[in-house]
Amino acid sequence: MSSRRSSRGSISEEEINELISKLQSLLPNSRRRGSSQASTTKLLKETCNYIKSLHREVDDLSDRLSDLMATMDHNSPGAEIIRSILRS
Amino acid sequence: MAQCGGGDVSRHRKGHLDTVESLCQGLLDDVMLDDDKCRAMFGYLQEWQDLASMCYGSLGGEPPLAPEASNGSGSSGGGGSFRKRRPDDAKGESNSICKRQRGKQQQQQQPCHPDQMAAAVGKGRPERARPGAKKKAEVASPKDSPATSASTVTAGQKTDYIHVRARRGQATDSHSLAERVRRERISERMRYLQELVPGCNKVTGKAGMLDEIINYVQSLQKQVEFLSMKIAASNPVVNFNIVEDLFGRQLSQAACNPAALPAMALPMAQVEPSCLQMSPLQQMQTSAGSSGYGLEMVVSNQYSPPGGPMSVPAGASVEPCLNVNGAAGWDIGSHGLFSGFDAPFQSVQSDCLLDNLKMEM
Repeated sequence: MSSRRSSRGSISEEEINELISKLQSLLPNSRRRGSSQASTTKLLKETCNYIKSLHREVDDLSDRLSDLMATMDHNSPGAEIIRSILRS
Repeated sequence: MAQCGGGDVSRHRKGHLDTVESLCQGLLDDVMLDDDKCRAMFGYLQEWQDLASMCYGSLGGEPPLAPEASNGSGSSGGGGSFRKRRPDDAKGESNSICKRQRGKQQQQQQPCHPDQMAAAVGKGRPERARPGAKKKAEVASPKDSPATSASTVTAGQKTDYIHVRARRGQATDSHSLAERVRRERISERMRYLQELVPGCNKVTGKAGMLDEIINYVQSLQKQVEFLSMKIAASNPVVNFNIVEDLFGRQLSQAACNPAALPAMALPMAQVEPSCLQMSPLQQMQTSAGSSGYGLEMVVSNQYSPPGGPMSVPAGASVEPCLNVNGAAGWDIGSHGLFSGFDAPFQSVQSDCLLDNLKMEM
């Protein structure tokens, strides 16, 4: 009973370690730290910050895109092309 | 009569038990004359009082004060009995308070122990050890102070030590405590991430949650890249190389991980012809005012050459620049190209480059 539980626990632990290293590879500034595995707490904190910064970036970029679209001359051939890109 | 007064006091002592009170009153009226019966009654009432004080103790409320009860006993003999009964009351009250205080102190000592452990463990965590020291100083005080301050201290401790408190049967050695603190922190962050990531609260288990978080981060990254690509595409000429750069990078990503980017493959495929379309436009639209800086530079370079042979190397060096990854190529190219131009033009160019860089980032 206990051995089965421990083996299952180790598998899930392995899984979690794998997922955590995957998450670490996704983060931009944790890549340079390389093999030295940072603490999970720090990693999760960095993930929080990174998600927040990505949210901000997405908002900023969509604002800029809408601004660009607003200031664009609508019947120029360039705008046509852009609209065809954006429609995709 | 004296015993009657004592009964009265005890009656007021538990004034909220109305039915008991009326019963006692009736009994007292009946047995007032018989001394023995009165004594028996007194013992009965005393039992009841003990019961009532037990009730108070278990409810945790303050029992009504004894001097209030003296209002009801008008007789002089009642005063004597009251004085006789008073030590009992005081003893009972002090007993109950003592019991409660002892309980609090036990509660205080329990969190105090893991705290000392945590202070021993966490040399690198002074923020945890400091409140512990403060609380230890406060723990000493309630031993001779009333129960109210003891309750406030426990309330404060409850908020402070919830992370390091060892429950019954849990190990209290330093490693286990440190591990417990670490796990608490991790689960706290996971909860925070759960709030941050949509749809993550449906998933149970750490592995599923991490999976969801990874997917979300990847999708956000893709979203950012796609948006910057759109912006780059909507500002066509200047950012042509960046579009190409993004395009190439995403293609390589897609080649590495073809199943992961089905959404990106479609827009990319449609971007490609438009980009190809751009290159003839580039030559056609040289006079259009709405085109970007890069075109204007090429145009002005061709129209107003400060040095005669400038236009030929310009055309030759812009082409490789387009293929160079990043803005460094542009920078070098522009410096080499427009060294003969006036300074403001170059600053505009560098602003534009900075913009591109930001977008690419």
